Amino acid sequence: MTFLVTWVASLLLIAAPFPAFMAIALPQWGLLFVVWWSLMRNYQLSITLLTFSSLPIDVLYGTALGMHAFIFALLAYVLTLLGPRVRQVNLVMQSVVVFFVLLVASAVSYWARTLTGLDPEFYILFTQTLASAIFWAPMRYLFERISNFTGEAGADSS
Amino acid sequence: MRPLFSRTSVAIVRFVIAVTFSVATMVVDVRFEALSFVRQALKTSLWPIEKLASAPQEFSRSFAQWLSFRVSLVGRLESLSLDNERLKTEQLKLQTLRAENAELRRLLSVKERFSEQLLQAEINRLSNDPFIHRATINRGFLASVKKGQPVLSADGLIGQVVAVYPHASEVLLVTDSTHQLPVQVTRTRDRAIAIGVGLLNRLELRNLPDTVDMVSGDLLETSGLGGRFQSGIPVARVIDVIRSPGQPFARVMAVPIAQLSRLSLVMVDVSTEGSR
Repeated sequence: MTFLVTWVASLLLIAAPFPAFMAIALPQWGLLFVVWWSLMRNYQLSITLLTFSSLPIDVLYGTALGMHAFIFALLAYVLTLLGPRVRQVNLVMQSVVVFFVLLVASAVSYWARTLTGLDPEFYILFTQTLASAIFWAPMRYLFERISNFTGEAGADSS
Repeated sequence: MRPLFSRTSVAIVRFVIAVTFSVATMVVDVRFEALSFVRQALKTSLWPIEKLASAPQEFSRSFAQWLSFRVSLVGRLESLSLDNERLKTEQLKLQTLRAENAELRRLLSVKERFSEQLLQAEINRLSNDPFIHRATINRGFLASVKKGQPVLSADGLIGQVVAVYPHASEVLLVTDSTHQLPVQVTRTRDRAIAIGVGLLNRLELRNLPDTVDMVSGDLLETSGLGGRFQSGIPVARVIDVIRSPGQPFARVMAVPIAQLSRLSLVMVDVSTEGSR
C-alpha cells in the first residue's frame, strides 16, 4: 500500500505542469522515490516491482522505455549496499550522499540519453541533481508520513 | 517480500537481470519502435494522474479568469471586435487571391497546394524533462489525429504528432534535438535543414555553403520536401549567420516564430495523411 501511494505521489509530481524555465532546476522525483525505498525500505521492495514501476515514468517524461528501469536498478543496487551506513547519519549528510549518488546516476542517464539520440547538456543534470539533494529531506518526510498513514511504518522511521 | 539486494552473489544476479531487461527494452523501443502499444496503454492509464496533476493549474487559470474585471473584459472585447473586422476584410482579399491562385494553378496544371483542415487543440503539458521537447495535446485518434500530422500555432509551425492515444497526442516540437525539418528561405528560396538543438528559442541550419545568401531577419518556411509538411508554413526567423574564416560551411542560427514556451492553443492539420 505504501509503495502504491508513494509511487502515485511521485507520478503526480512528475506529471505536474511547471513553467519551462523551471525545468533545469526540477528535482528528479522518480529518482528520489527509488532513493527512499532503497535506503529506508529495501527489505520491502522487489526488483520486478521497481522495474515495472519505472515504465510510466518513461512515458511521462517521453524517454525511451527502460531508461528509468536501468537507472533505478543501478541506484537500488548502490543504495542497498550503502543503506545501513547512510541511515545512521543525519539528514544533511544524507543529502550529501544522495547528491553524489544521484550525480553518478545522472552521468549514466546522460550516457543513456546520448545513446538514444538526444543531445543533453550535463550542467542541467547537475542542477537537477542539486535540487534533488535539497529536496531529499522534505521528500523523506513526506514518504515517512505516508508510511505512517498507511500503517506500514518501518522499524527505523522517526 | 524478500530483500531487494542482499550481500550475496544473488544481488549481482538480480542487478544483472534488471539491467539486461532495461537495456533490451530500450533497444527494442528506440531501435525497432516495437513498444508503441505498451506506451499507448500506459499513457491511456496515466490519463487520470495527468488530469489530477494539472488540476491546480486549471483551477488557478479559471480563478484568474473569474477575477478579471468587467472593464478589462469590455476593453478586450472591443479590441477583439476591431481585430475581427480587420481579419474579415483581409479574409475577403485572401479569398479573391485564393481563387486567382487556384485558377492560375489549374491553367498550369499544378496541384492545389493548400487544403488544410485545422483541428483546434489545447496543450495539456510540456515534458518536464529539459532535454525532451514534447507537448501533450488534448486531441487523440478519436478526433482523427494521426501520427506525422503537422501542428501549428497562430504564428507558424510548432512541430508534428509523434504518438497518438485515444484522447491525447504527443507533439514533438521543432526545437527537440531529434527533430530535423526541411526549410527554405522565403526571400531567396535557398533550401536547408533546420535542426533542433534542445533549446526552446533556437534552431540551427548547419553545413550551408559559405556563400549562402542569408541575412539576419530572413524568414524560414517549410519547403515541402519530404512530403510531411505543406510548403510555405512559417517556421523561424534568422538571427545570426556565422561564417568562420577557413571553414567551408556557414552556420545559421534562427529563432522559432511561435513562442514555444508560452503556447496554450494549437491547431493540428488533420487534412495531412500522416505516416500511419
